[in-house]
Amino acid sequence: MIIKLVKQPQFIIGFLFIACLLIFSFYWPNLLDVDKAESLKLQDFLYDDEGRIIDAPPYSPSQVPPLGSDMFGKQIFYQIIDGAKYTILIALGIALFRILFSVGITLINPKSSFSFLNDIVQATLYIPTAILAFIFMNSLIVKQSMEPMSTMKLIVLQCLILIGVGVPPLISTFSREIKAILNKDYITNTFALGSKKFYVYYKHVLPELSTKLVLLFAQQVVQTLILMAHLGVLAIFIGGSAIVVLGDIFSPMPVAIPLAGEWAGIIGMNFAKVKAAPWAILTPLTFFAVLIFALNMIIQGIQNCLETNKS
Amino acid sequence: MNFSLRSYLKRLRSTILGILIISILPALLFGTNTQLEQNVWEYSINRLKYPLFPDVFEKYQYSMTIFFCALLTGLVAALILTFFTTLLPRFLQRIVYGLLTFLESLPDLFIVVVLQFAIIYIYKSTGVLLSNISNVYNNPIYLLPILTLSILPTIQLFKITLLLMKDEQHKPYVTVARSMGLSRLYITIAHVFRNILTSLVQYYKTIFVFMLSNLFIVEYVFNLNGIMNVLLNTKGVAFMVTALMIAIPFSLLFEIAESNTIKLTKQEEEEAA
Repeated sequence: MIIKLVKQPQFIIGFLFIACLLIFSFYWPNLLDVDKAESLKLQDFLYDDEGRIIDAPPYSPSQVPPLGSDMFGKQIFYQIIDGAKYTILIALGIALFRILFSVGITLINPKSSFSFLNDIVQATLYIPTAILAFIFMNSLIVKQSMEPMSTMKLIVLQCLILIGVGVPPLISTFSREIKAILNKDYITNTFALGSKKFYVYYKHVLPELSTKLVLLFAQQVVQTLILMAHLGVLAIFIGGSAIVVLGDIFSPMPVAIPLAGEWAGIIGMNFAKVKAAPWAILTPLTFFAVLIFALNMIIQGIQNCLETNKS
Repeated sequence: MNFSLRSYLKRLRSTILGILIISILPALLFGTNTQLEQNVWEYSINRLKYPLFPDVFEKYQYSMTIFFCALLTGLVAALILTFFTTLLPRFLQRIVYGLLTFLESLPDLFIVVVLQFAIIYIYKSTGVLLSNISNVYNNPIYLLPILTLSILPTIQLFKITLLLMKDEQHKPYVTVARSMGLSRLYITIAHVFRNILTSLVQYYKTIFVFMLSNLFIVEYVFNLNGIMNVLLNTKGVAFMVTALMIAIPFSLLFEIAESNTIKLTKQEEEEAA
């Protein structure tokens, strides 16, 4: 399987792109030879050579190359690079746990039809996932504002919501797949020969599912990324937000800024001021699009590989 | 038409139960009273309170107009595009397919925002306002939301029909028709398209669910007063009623489509046997 995957050019390109982005994101202060704190600081005003103030944020890409700055004078380029690792790792982690939980729950009782979960799946067809996640996140934030909790606990709870939103549809997929596998003749034989349930699951069911699992995992990563972007627009930030007051004394404008530096946060933070600084929102969105494209190439590679396996 | 009320009621019961569970789950899990001393039939956006009834019907109508116009536009555009692609030479078809795979991976948010900026940019540089880009003073806009919402379904449907077309063109009846001396154009229009339309019904669920999610983003970014905006801001009972307003007609559509596709596959099996 792995050797065949390596032969798929699409898979290799997608995989290398994501790997490079991750490595670059972890080691960019060394690679670009810049100071991390210096390049991520808030830049109040732009000065010319003689020290006169020439502009206030947001700066356009021509003023602050290469990608301009956001409402607070932070450079978008460094924010994007620094946020890449959080974005990718959060998406990978959530997708992984979604798959793990749903396989685990299905294997506890593979014979049941999970009728109560089926109800939820039926309902979630008509309610967009972003709204579903939003109503949970919103009540979490209301709770947090009443009784403050640590950032770590908040992140864990938010990730649990993001995981939980995706689990019911996956369970209904897996229960269908696993039932089909358990109905095969050789499984019945293995049970007749006296093997334990756990052994059968581990030795026969999971290997048969493995290719499907990889495919579903990649698709879940894409869905998580899209969901994160949507939540970013709705100003729900993973890791909570701080309120910063912009504007002058007479017209204070409280603005929520995310504490973690992931891309969805950059989108959400700049979304209200989208007309003033279009580059601040178009850049993270473009990066989202490119990342999703890379993931889709990986998915395509896996699918090609499966098709050649069959024939 | 093949439709049984009993299986529809069964589906409806399961949907209603699901929505009930979802609407009480946040309060159960986090133990907060999200109602915050307001009327059950009211919802608030930016601390301004709005009554749910009777405005919701108007918003519902508005959203559904956009939704179905976009669906229709997408379907027609996809079919026309497929028609022209089949007339292209083979290598161009492959390029189109590759392009579609790329376009498909663009997030809906990206397309919505880029279109909005494109309109602003054109207005700034030429002074021609192609269309209003935001809802102002309850003056509903139609053109841009419909266009935006129809782009992604067009791409998806285009890809699906292209694949179906590829399968269909190697079937025996096409070869027979060719050997009878009918032109490729005529076969495509009169026979292949008709068969594709029936197989296209299979993909109704993916497209509809996908478009509902898109509708939400379009409404949020263009600041439209639609049903999804209501759904986002309501809580508890009001949320349930709004969700049901979307769920009941759509589940009816799904039920009709599903029972008819089952019938189709059964027919095919009988023909094969």
